[in-house]
Amino acid sequence: MYLRRLGFSNFRNYSELNLEPSTGLNLFVGANAQGKSNLLEGIAMLGTGKSFRTARDSDAVRAGCERAVLSGEATSRAGNVNLACAIDRGPRGTRKTYTVNASPVRYANYLGRIRVVTFVPADLKLAAGTPGARRAFLNIALAQTEPRYYYELARYRKALQQKNAVLRGAVEPDDELLLVYERTLLAAGTEIMLARVRLVDELAHGAAAAHARFAPDEALEVRYEPNVVFDAATPEAIAAAFEARMRHAAESERTRKSALVGPHRDDVGLSLDGVSLAAYGSQGQQRTAVLALKVAEYGVMRERSNEAPLLLLDDVLSELDETRAGAFLGEIGDYEQAFVTATHLPPGLSGARVARVQNARVLEWAAC
Amino acid sequence: MTTVASPVAALINELSKLPTIGPKTAARLVFYLLNRPRNEAQSLAEAILAVKDNVRFCSICYSLAESDPCEFCTDERRDATTICVVAEAKDVYAIERAGAFKGRYHVLGGLISPMDGIGPAQLHLRELIERIGREAPREIILATNPNAEGEATALYLSRLLQPLGVVVTRLAYGLPIGGDLDYADEMTIAKALEGRRTLSY
Repeated sequence: MYLRRLGFSNFRNYSELNLEPSTGLNLFVGANAQGKSNLLEGIAMLGTGKSFRTARDSDAVRAGCERAVLSGEATSRAGNVNLACAIDRGPRGTRKTYTVNASPVRYANYLGRIRVVTFVPADLKLAAGTPGARRAFLNIALAQTEPRYYYELARYRKALQQKNAVLRGAVEPDDELLLVYERTLLAAGTEIMLARVRLVDELAHGAAAAHARFAPDEALEVRYEPNVVFDAATPEAIAAAFEARMRHAAESERTRKSALVGPHRDDVGLSLDGVSLAAYGSQGQQRTAVLALKVAEYGVMRERSNEAPLLLLDDVLSELDETRAGAFLGEIGDYEQAFVTATHLPPGLSGARVARVQNARVLEWAAC
Repeated sequence: MTTVASPVAALINELSKLPTIGPKTAARLVFYLLNRPRNEAQSLAEAILAVKDNVRFCSICYSLAESDPCEFCTDERRDATTICVVAEAKDVYAIERAGAFKGRYHVLGGLISPMDGIGPAQLHLRELIERIGREAPREIILATNPNAEGEATALYLSRLLQPLGVVVTRLAYGLPIGGDLDYADEMTIAKALEGRRTLSY
């Protein structure tokens, strides 16, 4: 899939932007703080409705403005589609609204129309970072490729907040009420774990293969580490294991006033030749593992939807040495469309359309 | 806002406290009202006050009423063996508009949401149980919204009501009439498939 047209209005430091990107490589070069990352963030947010930089949507609206609009026209196997995501900053908080072909839709119906794989410098810390970052990595890939996943995740999070509120004593203690939320947690949590076990399985193969070409002497293993351990990846086995763990933890959950078991505490383990990368890996080893994981993510996203997602690389090539950067792009292979930012022209990129980003303006497309 | 006459600013401020109305819409309403005859403004103001002064909650079903008990609870033609449980008083009017239900109502006064400090004790649940004991209805229809809070409340209620020997039903999930399958979201379609029925005539 590819974007034919891209428009920003009052997004971040852009007052107005209209671009007609080309297929293949679109390279944006410019000094820092000119709007390169904002450009990529806008494309990612047009696709996923979420920022990869901030959890606060109000940050996305240009200072002094009330509404930011991201819009675009994409061509995919499903045909042409016009998408828009509007962010309204009001006195009662920030709201996002979505339209597909000018008709308003709910977020669940918007997600997945433009699929993106983003790679930003912060991702290089994925191996050593918190479990939350690794869960977010799984969530964004799953939400874009399985329509049901986002629904289950939202349902799970809501029930978790409610259960925690009951445990915290926000309302009178009520075992029946706890059971109501636990029923939702079990049903939604089982679907989440099933989806994650399948995804990590697919990622593990791709990541191991890519890593074997980057660093032939060491074997990368990517493993799903669910908080609730189960014997078999079937709905019945997972639900049974989850329920047993929840019963077992009931006492301590009441004492600690918080839900202690479930996929909200999952992790993904990365290891080299059986040794944990987070604990013992060098920074170089961790980076190579993340590159392999990102290659795998791109491959899985392409395979699952039968077409290449947009590839967004924000300043990440300059973070890598030339060999790694070249190897990474080589592994990705045939992308349909990529958006890459850099502070200077990276060597070895060919066939690119280059634009200069300066003070929230995108100037002069030129073939590289 | 400093350049606007203060009564105008005050009304804009009052209106923008209302749900779905932001400061811009509020300003538009105020300038519209300024251009209308005085009697229109007066009847609006009186209607707002009348709502506060003359409308109360029925002491049996907690729906909005001019008299207590309300017209739904006193109407002998309505079927007293079926009680439709809704979250808010406005939901009663939504169901009444359909004209397909001829039983009684019970308004909970909200939905269970512990994170917002609303538990079963904050709603008219105990009153519903007392009412079932007193009136011995045959069926309780749970007509809470099909969202997270509505589902949780319905589930909680069904567990609570089961021992009382009353039939508990839930509104069906499905596709909107006149809708387009193409535009329905995946979960609605999945739920509609789950709740499919044999077609017969």
